[in-house]
Amino acid sequence: MKVERITAGWLPGLRDDEVQWHVLPFEHGAEPEGLRLEVSVPVLTAAQMQALAQRVREAADRHLRAMPVAGIIDAIDRVIARLLDRSDPFRREAEAWLPVVSGYDADMVRLGLTGFFKTFRAAQLRRFVAEDFANPAVLDGFQPVPKGGAVRAFGPDLLVHVWAGNVPALSLWSLVCGLLVKAPSIGKLASAEPLFAGWFARLLAEVHPPLAECLAVVWWSGAGGDAGLGAEGAAALYGQADTVLAYGGNDTLAALRQRLPVTTRFLPHGHKLGFGLVGASALDTLKAPAVARLAAWDVMRYDQQGCYSPHVFYVERGAPVPPRAFADYLAAELVNLQQRFARRPLELEEGAAVARWQQAVEWGSGDQELIGPVDAPWSVAYGDSLQALAPTALYRTISVVGVDRLDDVVPVVSAQRVFLQTAGIAASPEELYRLAGLLGAAGVTRICAIGAMSMPEAGWHHDGRFNLIDLVRMTEIEQSAEAAAQPFAPYAD
Amino acid sequence: MDKAAPLLADLLAFIAMDGCTDEQFDQLALRLFAYQYESNAPFRSFCQRRGATLRKVKTWSDIPAVPIDAFKAMELRSEPALPGERVFMTSGTTGRAARGRHFHPRLDVYDLSMTRNFARRFMGGAGHMPMGILFPDEQAMPNSSLAHYLALAKSGFGTADSRYFLTPEGLDLPGLCAALEQAERTGQPYALLGASFSLVHVMDALRAEGRSFRLPAGSRILDTGGYKGQSRELPLEDFYAGLEELLGVPRTHCVNMYGMTELSTQFYDDGNAVLPSVKSGPHWIRSRLVEPVTGRSVVPGERGILVHCDLANYNSVTTILTEDVGLWAEGGFLLLGRAEGAAAKGCSLAVEEFVKAAAA
Repeated sequence: MKVERITAGWLPGLRDDEVQWHVLPFEHGAEPEGLRLEVSVPVLTAAQMQALAQRVREAADRHLRAMPVAGIIDAIDRVIARLLDRSDPFRREAEAWLPVVSGYDADMVRLGLTGFFKTFRAAQLRRFVAEDFANPAVLDGFQPVPKGGAVRAFGPDLLVHVWAGNVPALSLWSLVCGLLVKAPSIGKLASAEPLFAGWFARLLAEVHPPLAECLAVVWWSGAGGDAGLGAEGAAALYGQADTVLAYGGNDTLAALRQRLPVTTRFLPHGHKLGFGLVGASALDTLKAPAVARLAAWDVMRYDQQGCYSPHVFYVERGAPVPPRAFADYLAAELVNLQQRFARRPLELEEGAAVARWQQAVEWGSGDQELIGPVDAPWSVAYGDSLQALAPTALYRTISVVGVDRLDDVVPVVSAQRVFLQTAGIAASPEELYRLAGLLGAAGVTRICAIGAMSMPEAGWHHDGRFNLIDLVRMTEIEQSAEAAAQPFAPYAD
Repeated sequence: MDKAAPLLADLLAFIAMDGCTDEQFDQLALRLFAYQYESNAPFRSFCQRRGATLRKVKTWSDIPAVPIDAFKAMELRSEPALPGERVFMTSGTTGRAARGRHFHPRLDVYDLSMTRNFARRFMGGAGHMPMGILFPDEQAMPNSSLAHYLALAKSGFGTADSRYFLTPEGLDLPGLCAALEQAERTGQPYALLGASFSLVHVMDALRAEGRSFRLPAGSRILDTGGYKGQSRELPLEDFYAGLEELLGVPRTHCVNMYGMTELSTQFYDDGNAVLPSVKSGPHWIRSRLVEPVTGRSVVPGERGILVHCDLANYNSVTTILTEDVGLWAEGGFLLLGRAEGAAAKGCSLAVEEFVKAAAA
């Protein structure tokens, strides 16, 4: 078996031989042509972490805070241009190694990366900023406000990121947010995808070196509990952070929140449960297969690991194509997609979870049936009656539920309010707006086309929040201060 | 059942044998498969969905493995229900509402399977022994296969002064200590049997009172079932070290039984000096390790989900798909715990997390 080694992370001001390294092994393919990738991730002591935090803070004071947002956007755009260039060495690394660490099909990763990166070009980044700030210049200096006085937005003094793995390059979102609000950042790599954040920092160092000084990428084990590797460094960092942005399951997030001082701003992004609605108007014999094909893409992308990935499609009865037939179309498209983008090989536990979900469908008391062979690398369950919205086993296991009216779905999904985020809708414009009102009230924060569920657009409000506003604090110069300053001017009469 | 009578007679004779050849095992497995396929409609339709028919199933490993969840969803039985038949039910501690049911219109097969195997693997040829049972009796838990198992152990292998130490009021620690003291005094080997979590409670109670015992040579302990959230989660190493320290029973004589409500036969190890210990069963049960989605056997050296073909399961189904992870080892398999859902790596909600949130 061939062994390759990669050093991950990004530690400005620290030499490799000064820190402890931990190896995360990944195996790809079977013997003999299989490959073992050993990713070394940095584990810092408390003192090293403190020094690192100090250093990125100072660098941000010197470089990042003095830089206009337009300049930061320009630098990020140049990084993204290189990530989109398939001949660039960093892009080649990403295409070669992200499939190995994630296990995803290489073509799926390649397409996913391009689709993802292109939402971070300069034009999209400007839109991203404009989305949150009516006057983006508040990030650069005090700006007059209608009520009188002036206001300026300041990013966190130290932004700590805790990333989740398995959606490759997920860390780009929060890294970009941090840069746009001029925050020094320290990110914690996910053990399941410990690569991208470090590459981003290295690319930034090539494109505009001072910016890369303002961020660091480290690792510790798990949520940084009391005992794990790097717990000491994690505790030191949590003590220093003024904002912590974290992705993960609610258990992980709860454990993390407990470790933070009460004054630390905590921005959690928990696991979510996506679903789709297909209206009768989308279910004639021409349109239904096309919608099913798009739905299959949403299921296939990253094998449903995204927070926006669908678990259930609710399909309205009464159209020429009944829900059961839609489920068949969906199954057929999943067969096709398996040819192009094979599902990643499952670990024993993942396979057991898939099998258990299938068994629950097969042996359950409901009227659900399993479409297709049980040993296929995808699985569609069809149910004719409305049941509680529940997650599937992921890895291309999807439920299709026939409903009399799409409105019937609203109470079912609203029962899972805390887990709602994305809903894909295929319906007429009037229906779209009407349903959006109901779903929004139920807790849904993102409504998109079926086929776009796993491709959120630039500047989306992740979990219904403001990506940038949530990071900043506003400093106001009140009118009174302005007026009171007048008598102290050298030109005062 | 006239049809089943000769089959049952042959099955009882098979269990009574000292061993069997592959052909003998296959022959009986296929007869039982044919019987269950014909008498058990839900099982038949399951087989048909798996493309398994009487003609296609040529060896025991071809028999479709029924997931244990099926015992919750429907009545898996070949004989019609009898008044007064025993029904063993799963404990339902796994967070799922329904309890699995295993119907035993008659217990002679179960009882023979238990006693034959227990005599060899736990008693090791020893005669009757005073026994302490750390589990409720059959009257308190008529639907517990473990309660029945322990009652069989006590009535078949215990001396007259054997008794239960778990009452509705809880653990009778003074009574237990008195029995242990007596064993120390008389030098007669003693057997302590019960749920793993009850033994944890006993150890905690002994530690709290600062007591410990040196049971006479030949004494033994049987634990089963894991902790099931009923006691603190003790690592196995500490569990067996604690038994040895507090009761003076060497780990070679601390035997763990692996059984399931859905089976009629148990697996044992030969002591727990080395962990994880190797589990094995008698000649009338065979196991496979499979890849869960495809059901194909895993290659040696890889972990798989355990499938058991238990010929003593004459009324339900012989072959079940568990949720336990195993690994082949010299002389049997290692039990590596339950196949809990892998920690979610992405951001999509996983079933385990959802179930936990719903239960909270």
